[in-house]
Amino acid sequence: MRNKRLSTVASFLLIIALLAGCSSNSASSGTDKGADTAASGKKKVEIALWLTPQWKGVFDATEADADYDSFFKYAADKFAKQYDKYDVKVNVQVVAGDQRDELLNVNLNGGTPPDVFFESAFAMGDYAHRGALVPLNDIVDDAAKKDIDQGYWDNVTYGKDIYFYPFSHNPGTFAYNADMLKAAGLESFVGGDNEIKTWTMDEYNQILKGLKENLPKDKYPNAYPMALYALNNQGDTWNLAYLRMFGSKFFDDQGNIAIADEKGIQAAQWLKDIYKAGYTNPGAESVSSNDANAMFQNQQLAISFTNAILFNNAKADMNAGKSPKFDIRLANIPSISGDPLTFTYVVGASVFKSSDATKTEVAKDFVKFFSSDPELVKASKNSIPVRSSVVAELKSQYPLFSAYDANAPHMFSFTGNVPGYSELRQVLYPELQAIYVGEKTPEQAMKDYQTKGNSVIQKARESSVLK
Amino acid sequence: MKLLRNQTWKENVTGYLFIMPQLVLFLIFIVYPIIEGIRLSLYKVQYQQETFVGFQNYSTLFHDPVFFKSIVNTIIFVVFIVILTVGFALFVSSAVFDKNAKYVSFIRGSYYIPVMVSMVVMSMVWGFLLNPANGLISYAAREMNLSTFNLLGNKNTVLPVVIFVTFATNVGQAIILYIASMIGVPKDLFEAAEVDGASRVQVIFQILIPLVKPTTIYITIINIIAVLKIFVVIQMLTGGGPNNATVTMMYYLYNNAFKYNQLGVASAVGVIMFIITLLLSVPQLRAMFKER
Repeated sequence: MRNKRLSTVASFLLIIALLAGCSSNSASSGTDKGADTAASGKKKVEIALWLTPQWKGVFDATEADADYDSFFKYAADKFAKQYDKYDVKVNVQVVAGDQRDELLNVNLNGGTPPDVFFESAFAMGDYAHRGALVPLNDIVDDAAKKDIDQGYWDNVTYGKDIYFYPFSHNPGTFAYNADMLKAAGLESFVGGDNEIKTWTMDEYNQILKGLKENLPKDKYPNAYPMALYALNNQGDTWNLAYLRMFGSKFFDDQGNIAIADEKGIQAAQWLKDIYKAGYTNPGAESVSSNDANAMFQNQQLAISFTNAILFNNAKADMNAGKSPKFDIRLANIPSISGDPLTFTYVVGASVFKSSDATKTEVAKDFVKFFSSDPELVKASKNSIPVRSSVVAELKSQYPLFSAYDANAPHMFSFTGNVPGYSELRQVLYPELQAIYVGEKTPEQAMKDYQTKGNSVIQKARESSVLK
Repeated sequence: MKLLRNQTWKENVTGYLFIMPQLVLFLIFIVYPIIEGIRLSLYKVQYQQETFVGFQNYSTLFHDPVFFKSIVNTIIFVVFIVILTVGFALFVSSAVFDKNAKYVSFIRGSYYIPVMVSMVVMSMVWGFLLNPANGLISYAAREMNLSTFNLLGNKNTVLPVVIFVTFATNVGQAIILYIASMIGVPKDLFEAAEVDGASRVQVIFQILIPLVKPTTIYITIINIIAVLKIFVVIQMLTGGGPNNATVTMMYYLYNNAFKYNQLGVASAVGVIMFIITLLLSVPQLRAMFKER
């Protein structure tokens, strides 16, 4: 009997201990870690900044210990030193581009989004439509509006409000291995060092054929002419560009996809043809853009996709001895009209809504600081600066700035500014896979993409909070 | 009568108190999420609001060919992986269970190593090997002039590859369980069979397999439930491709919840999976209660 009582008491104690454990835990997690008052007398505020890999180093990849978060750690430090409202700590975290939406969706639904996110605006536009971002109109002053061209502001304005503070832009082109082209006897197609070479469609087809047939196997074993990938949505902007090669406008005037026309199907057929002819890496359906980029750096591909940041990173890797050195140059994506196909990503910071007004205030102040501080904005040279003042100052050192500038008139808006763009990206690659594995004809795949894509856009339009 | 009931209650209360902590955790972490999942499956979930939509999420599902593909793929995975696992584990265990102890330990160890390695690591290693552009297997195939060779890009070979990778990682567990169970079979039965002049095949089919039936049922149910939730291999190896050829229900759920941000539709998939799992567990539960 006594034993029984003892065990009853023991089990009660166990439950009480457990509940006490739980409640003390929840109490501690309930308090705001960032709200303590520091020794300086200022209130302590912690904010989180996430970014996808952009450039390495504070200003340059050649710095010691250069990494993707170097710039923001430096900027946070500089910001904290001069900020008089609060004692600020910025926690910087680099997240993989292909995991961005998963991470953000989980954290948004759990109520723990980061305060600041630094990324290409196109990939984040959906969060503005969903009402998860804070408008940044109040931190954009006249000086910034004057210094940054209106075109970039249009890119980051959704409805009436600005949701991203443009920092740099990142034009997408081809990169090619000039050594490989020369080795295949294609010297005449090689452009200048600081040129973005424009080939016609016929020339481009000749280059692919020449590389396939004449690339010396002993010097470049296991190498292919061009990168082609469709494993997931990464790097899909180039795939979108290829679909415009034969003159398709992609979106109609109402903002719906209109790719299943003659020109769009012709482009999809061209992709299938070069794939079947062995002008690209094999297995495009299960190769990712990351794989393709690595193959290009290992000289297994002669022509690959790139943007300003990737191009600079590739050069930095070569100089640091991390990848084989070769003569890397830029070329435009060709089109049947002879004009190049170019697009750009405006890269900048956005601020997520938070239940803590202080955090939102600090996050906005920080975004304004690193996006307008005269020293920090020079880091935008790692891609292409959006500020005319920075371009003017650095133009002489970076001759490619003017080459990119010359491309600007041929720019197309690849998102069409449609809502639901993130989900739309998930619809394209399965159709490309179907083309490459031969499950669908290019015509069928484009029709299916158009139908599915338009239903995504329609749904997103209905639920967008921006009218 | 009242006194008796009081006494029984008093006797039982300690027992209830002992299971209380587990019960509380079970209610919070298992039952509540299930109820919440069922509720969400009837709502359209947006960042700022939830709207009741009745069975619209279910109707969306049943109009999506990819969902049906995911069901078919999941069934294919379950059937083949479970049959392979049970068959191969039975074969290996019945071949070695009565050999010398060191040999048995060696076999057990060898098959168990992959179980200990994380599924993510295994999938990545296979991913490296099978990468069509620069993977080792594709390279070897090219060297042998087998032209292009992309097991993951061909819808006829991608399912067998995923089945094999999952089976190779899982089978160790089943072998351990079978060997333990076979070692427990009374020796006199084998001796009697030997006296009667039974062959090894007869011993295995007439004595061993019937006597380890409870283990077979257990392994089958556990594997069915595990394979129903197959996700990691798909995410790491194929991303559901090519053209949704390897999308499973769990991967479809994940895509909807975290990539497309359709929490309501994802919850509906979750509810359907829950019902299927529940139905599959009924025979197992019935068998357990019958034994009592």
